[in-house]
Amino acid sequence: MEIMDFVKYAVYILIFPGALFTCVFGLWLAGVDRKVVARMQKRKGPPITQPAWDFLKLCGKEVIVPAGAARLMYMAAPYVGLVSLIVTVLFIPIGGLQAFSAGGDVVVVLYLLTIPTLALILGGSASGSPYAGVGASRTMVSVMAYELPLILVLLAVARAAGSHVTMDGYSILGATFSLEMITRVQELIGPLLFDWRLLPAAVAMLLVIPCEVGQHPFDVGEAETEICEGPLAEYSGAPLAVFKLSHAIKMFVMTALFCALFLGGIGTGMLWLDVVLALVFSTAVTLVCMTLLHAISARFRVEQLFKFFWTVVSGLALGSLLLVWFC
Amino acid sequence: MFKKLIDNAAARSPWLYHINAGSCNGCDIELVAVLTPRYDAERLGFKLAGTPRHADIVVVSGPVTVQSKDRVLRTIEQVPEPRVIVTLGSCPRSCNVFKGSYSVAGPLDKYVPIDVSIAGCAPKPEAIIDGLALATQILKEKREAMK
Repeated sequence: MEIMDFVKYAVYILIFPGALFTCVFGLWLAGVDRKVVARMQKRKGPPITQPAWDFLKLCGKEVIVPAGAARLMYMAAPYVGLVSLIVTVLFIPIGGLQAFSAGGDVVVVLYLLTIPTLALILGGSASGSPYAGVGASRTMVSVMAYELPLILVLLAVARAAGSHVTMDGYSILGATFSLEMITRVQELIGPLLFDWRLLPAAVAMLLVIPCEVGQHPFDVGEAETEICEGPLAEYSGAPLAVFKLSHAIKMFVMTALFCALFLGGIGTGMLWLDVVLALVFSTAVTLVCMTLLHAISARFRVEQLFKFFWTVVSGLALGSLLLVWFC
Repeated sequence: MFKKLIDNAAARSPWLYHINAGSCNGCDIELVAVLTPRYDAERLGFKLAGTPRHADIVVVSGPVTVQSKDRVLRTIEQVPEPRVIVTLGSCPRSCNVFKGSYSVAGPLDKYVPIDVSIAGCAPKPEAIIDGLALATQILKEKREAMK
């Protein structure tokens, strides 16, 4: 029995939905994103496997560590970010399949999601490049910008789902911070996306996702045309490959989180079909909130981004929270 | 098997870094035209990189002026191996109409070995794509020779 458990968790962590699957699906998602952006601009676009080729190519390049860099931090940062993202995936239910669950996994996910961005900031600062310094400070501003609306959205969802949970200890305050509970409630009352009180929160979440991932209109920290990809300016070879991989996986993590919060509980009863359905939803959310925005918009300036997130997006999320609490 | 996969990847994901070594901007505009929807070099995996650290192919345009010589050489040295150096237009190869000027230190092959040179003043986008495709093959050969 213990051996079986061990094998089960090993498969969860290493293959599905852990390391191997997230890497492959993340790179595929990034490829679809680039292809669709190209089609929207009337180009033929790179093949969908392009991010995978980029990753492999970067693995075969020389790794240069700048003379002024803090070597340990510089080399460790990308791997710390990647591992914490893979751990995050284990806590997010994908079509009802959740590798680990705990009473407060919304909070765990919230904290784990900041680590990759933190790794980017630390790695960039450790490289000692002025471009990376500017990029790191800009990334910090964008973290502050999106964290507030993200927390408000999670609170609104927790409250909306929690008001339906009465039978066990998860809902002392009428709010549940368990993603498993949120999924189960949605099986009973239907996806929370179709709850009119949560519609503003869903829109806010769709705007938070590209900022968290660092996608186009909100990529102030990695603006390649202004500051040479910011924190990544000095990276080359395998560490750069890992950062690019983390970026691709983050797309999957954030869209999967959106699906768990707002589109959970849609299912047929067959586990593998539900998982496939969840992945299709993930891709659809990527196309709506990242690809479309990328193709149609120019980049925000730093202060515009901050203002936009703390007024419009936070306003939407707060409105939703108040509606959920009082209606 | 893994090494072979990486070797193949070298030819399929070439990232460009473009240095203007005193060019008249004609070649630079043609290089940008290669990335527009009409020619769309991204379908072959080409991408303009913002820093030399991310680049595989260094594209140099211009006759290498005295002012830019040190910067060009320093930038090329910062590109990680395997790297390919491509000259764009006639200037870096022969200094073109600027030959003999007191302010020109070129041609470029006095200082670094050149892998591909694309002729023309300015070269057509088709010629640039052809030259870059050749550069990816050299990139792959250089990658195979590593280790």
